[in-house]
Amino acid sequence: MNILTIQDVSKRFGSRQILDGLSFNVPEKSVFGFIGQNGAGKTTTMKMVLGLYEPDAGEIRVKDEKVTYGQNKTNRYIGYLPDVPEFYNYMTPTEYLKLCADVTGTSAEQAKKRIPDMLDMVGLSKDNKRIQGFSRGMKQRLGIAQALLSSPELLICDEPTSALDPVGRKEILDILSAVKNETTVIFSTHILSDVERICDKIAFLHAGKIALTGTLEEVKNVRGGAGLEIDFCCPEDAERFGTICEDAKFLSGSKLLYEKRTEQDMKAMMRILVEQDISIQRMEMLEPNLEDLFMEVVNQ
Amino acid sequence: MNPVELQEILPFLIPVAIAEIVLLVVTLRHILTHTTYKRGNRVLWLVIAIVGMQFWGPIAYFLLGKEDA
Amino acid sequence: MRQLVAFVKKEWMEVIRNGKFTILIIVFILFGVMNPAIAKLTPWLMENFSESLEESGIIIGEVTVDAMTSWTQYYKNVPMAMIVFLLMFSGILVVEYQRGTLINVITKGMARWKIIVGKSFILTLLWSVNYWMCYGITYAYNAYFWDNSIAEHVAVSAFCVYLLGIWLLSLMMLMSVLFDSAAGVTVGTGAVFFVSYMLSMVPDLQKYLPTKLMESSGLLSRVGEVEDFYWALGIVVVLIVIQLVGAILLFNRKRL
Repeated sequence: MNILTIQDVSKRFGSRQILDGLSFNVPEKSVFGFIGQNGAGKTTTMKMVLGLYEPDAGEIRVKDEKVTYGQNKTNRYIGYLPDVPEFYNYMTPTEYLKLCADVTGTSAEQAKKRIPDMLDMVGLSKDNKRIQGFSRGMKQRLGIAQALLSSPELLICDEPTSALDPVGRKEILDILSAVKNETTVIFSTHILSDVERICDKIAFLHAGKIALTGTLEEVKNVRGGAGLEIDFCCPEDAERFGTICEDAKFLSGSKLLYEKRTEQDMKAMMRILVEQDISIQRMEMLEPNLEDLFMEVVNQ
Repeated sequence: MNPVELQEILPFLIPVAIAEIVLLVVTLRHILTHTTYKRGNRVLWLVIAIVGMQFWGPIAYFLLGKEDA
Repeated sequence: MRQLVAFVKKEWMEVIRNGKFTILIIVFILFGVMNPAIAKLTPWLMENFSESLEESGIIIGEVTVDAMTSWTQYYKNVPMAMIVFLLMFSGILVVEYQRGTLINVITKGMARWKIIVGKSFILTLLWSVNYWMCYGITYAYNAYFWDNSIAEHVAVSAFCVYLLGIWLLSLMMLMSVLFDSAAGVTVGTGAVFFVSYMLSMVPDLQKYLPTKLMESSGLLSRVGEVEDFYWALGIVVVLIVIQLVGAILLFNRKRL
């Protein structure tokens, strides 16, 4: 069952075609990474899902209900964390969450129980002073608390980690992976290490379309094999091996790299090493890197 | 001004003085507890608030100088 | 209903905590006290003046001061108070657009019309409390020193100006939906007022225009009849409704 379906959505701002026939699905109970360069249209897509922007063409469905512009009914399923969450500075986190609970219609008793729980989860329970003096990271955490307050079925986070320091990023990612059993998480980012850390499924957005989508494994396998790196004991061995197995890239005198090799290739090479009586320091299958994939997609 | 007249304007003088003092104190406190303003700087607003203390100074500050929260 | 109450509470908390409420109360008290105070001081000022004027040959007779002098001051000062009030709230919506604070509330399922209604309600409440307080202070001083009964239709006249204020508030709400900056809102509101003011130069149109309500102080000294204002009052009420409905409809389609 897909919680979100986007069908042939296009959007143009002035003369710039931001989205051009964008389609993808997000299955329930997954962490979905939405990847693209700055300005690729990630925020635009998310705002259309929330009914804040009107698509020029196409259809968006949340839980099989159509999203409408302006007054959007499907927002009751969604928790949203904007890229730069802004709150009413004169309120305390508890007061703000109370306002949110009243707006979503969470019952008073439930809100009473859930608000401290949420603040506890994001580590703000000791900071019940006015939001005025909050740091970016604290606001981001309060943003997650307000988005999750009504136990939404879909949590949409727009670049939740981009503006944070490494500690703040780790905190946010930990919170996001902690909630993935209760809700589906969609989060957009251009930081690929974050994606590798927590996503089940990813989609690359490029030139207004999805350039590549699938599970993390599928996407990594798209390139057909990974790099194989061999570290020899001395440069002479490396030289000799390089003439037997061609297409090697010399990273240094004694270090060779073979691109796009499978496990079969690796076994064959090991056999050659034994036959030729060459010893090595290290042999490693390099994990296919999302960074490279991303660069390939972008440069196509 | 003779004493009789002073007696006459006292009903005005007292509330006006109280209101102006409260207004000035609120304004000065606001200026001093904030470091950033919509425009201008702290010294400028202190000068304006005190020079125009009859109430134009504080009003000007709250309309033009106070940051929106 | 719960959404609306929550939003009104939020607006209330805003005016209390950012000090706008205190400032408005103090300013309107000052305006209220100043009217009789200036009236009271007029003879004394005149006396001081006349000495220097006599030297230049102008002789001023005995000046008599009564409740009318004070009410004249009131209608001279109220527009000033109204401008302060409007300027203070010219950012009521645009500040929220600029900061993006409404996005959270709306994506949580807040009905958009409740935002306009909630904000209009708080503005109306603040204007009503402050305006009638200012009026009450002037009235009380006048009653204490002089006699209010020499002026006719005191309350009706004050009500006309009060309603003019409500009209400007609803106009400001509409402008706040149309424009994205406080400057745009101020200029837009001012422009509409100015148009109404210019049109009132046309004698035939005058009695239908909102700006007609500014002349209500004439009623005190029996210049004109209450009936003269019926048209303008009716039209202003209709305009208030149209402007608010317009603001709500446009806001429903506004991109935030």
